[in-house]
Amino acid sequence: MNSMTSLSKYLPYIFEGSLWSLGLVLGGLGIGFMIGVMFSLIEVYNNSPLKKLISLYIWFFRGTPLIVQLFLFHWSIFPALGIKSTPLTTSITVLGLRSGAYQSQILRGAIGSIEETQMLAAKAVGMNDWDAISSIILPQALRIALPQISNEYSIILKDSAICFILGVMELMTRAKYTAIATGIALIPYLVAGLIYMGLTYIGTKLFDLIYLKMKIPGSVEG
Amino acid sequence: MSEEIVLRVKDLYKRYENKVVLRGISFEVRRGEVKVIMGPSGTGKTTLLKCIDMLVKPDSGKIWLKDLELTDPRIDISEARRKIGFVFQEFNLFHHLTAIKNVMIGLTKVKKLPKHEARTIAERSLLKVHIGRELWDKYPAQLSGGQKQRVAIARALAMEPMIMLYDEPTSALDPQLTGEVLEVIKELAEDGMTSLIVTHEVGFASEIADEIMIMMDGKIIEKGDPKNILYNPQREETRRFFNKILRIGGGSR
Repeated sequence: MNSMTSLSKYLPYIFEGSLWSLGLVLGGLGIGFMIGVMFSLIEVYNNSPLKKLISLYIWFFRGTPLIVQLFLFHWSIFPALGIKSTPLTTSITVLGLRSGAYQSQILRGAIGSIEETQMLAAKAVGMNDWDAISSIILPQALRIALPQISNEYSIILKDSAICFILGVMELMTRAKYTAIATGIALIPYLVAGLIYMGLTYIGTKLFDLIYLKMKIPGSVEG
Repeated sequence: MSEEIVLRVKDLYKRYENKVVLRGISFEVRRGEVKVIMGPSGTGKTTLLKCIDMLVKPDSGKIWLKDLELTDPRIDISEARRKIGFVFQEFNLFHHLTAIKNVMIGLTKVKKLPKHEARTIAERSLLKVHIGRELWDKYPAQLSGGQKQRVAIARALAMEPMIMLYDEPTSALDPQLTGEVLEVIKELAEDGMTSLIVTHEVGFASEIADEIMIMMDGKIIEKGDPKNILYNPQREETRRFFNKILRIGGGSR
């Protein structure tokens, strides 16, 4: 009984972890988005050796487990580069770099699905490449990619739990500490699980709202 | 029609892999002139128009827009393209923009005009192609084919081009919608808009053209004023071509 009352004291502590988790997710998703846009554009429009480097990058981040990446960056790459990184900054960076690999593929597909004639029409109006990409191609590609980016959000959210391994004070870490401190495993993990489900629900609903708001009237897709 | 030459094409060649599409095309278009290109499908008419706008790079030959050589690789081609209006067979309106924004975007992005100025010009262009106020905020997917093509014409027109290129502007339209588009093209031409038009509409061509050029196998095989070309063609191929499209198309409008 004693452990149950102390458990209730821990609940706010666990809830606070969801803010950290959300920080990891939004940071990772944001960094990943910027990388994704940059890389997808290079992959589609640029025929430079950069493309080879990018496919190597994507291979690495899609081909290795997140936990390996976290350890590698936190314990060898960052120290070797002389970068002082906290568990939180390493986690956000790695989640972002990793998501960039996935988002670049999402966006590449979306850009590829836009008819080439859109680019042609933009050029015919007199736009240069950058104007055409930024005001014609990307706005359409982002609409097409949105459902998959929403999916990416729910994946990173759950990936972020692995960051407990570096001791980031996110949901999973706090659930674990609570379990140790109270000797009760079921409830802390159950609460953490429910919060993850809640965050998934709220996040994907938000993406659905954005999707509906951005949807081009009259069109079937996008 | 003035003596001033707006567009000059000289000895244009283009091949795709092992197919030669254009084999030595030369002609001129004068200010205010309406030139129509006709000929069977797959003879390079679309490629020719795209080459003129440098959307497709010709292999050899030269193109001038007034004094500006478009084929010169050192020029800023985006800058040059804004002076050429291009109307595509498939309209190619920007899907994510309303009708009026489709017309405005070239003005704000390319000409860097302030929004209210761009809007005024866009409104004027849309009215010119008979797209009424009630359609301005519609998206392309909410417009009929004929409306889409007229918005596309307004988009090109708003940039105040020196010449309009029309690539089979009614070929993707249902027959009952071609009239409204041809009517607009005709009105613009009568207003003095220099035009180069690829079309299969014989009646329209004969009505509007100062000269019709017949293109076959990447060459201009015959040209002349509409009456001569239609009723008294010099080449057997031209005669056969008209026989065929008139039979299939059920005659001129």
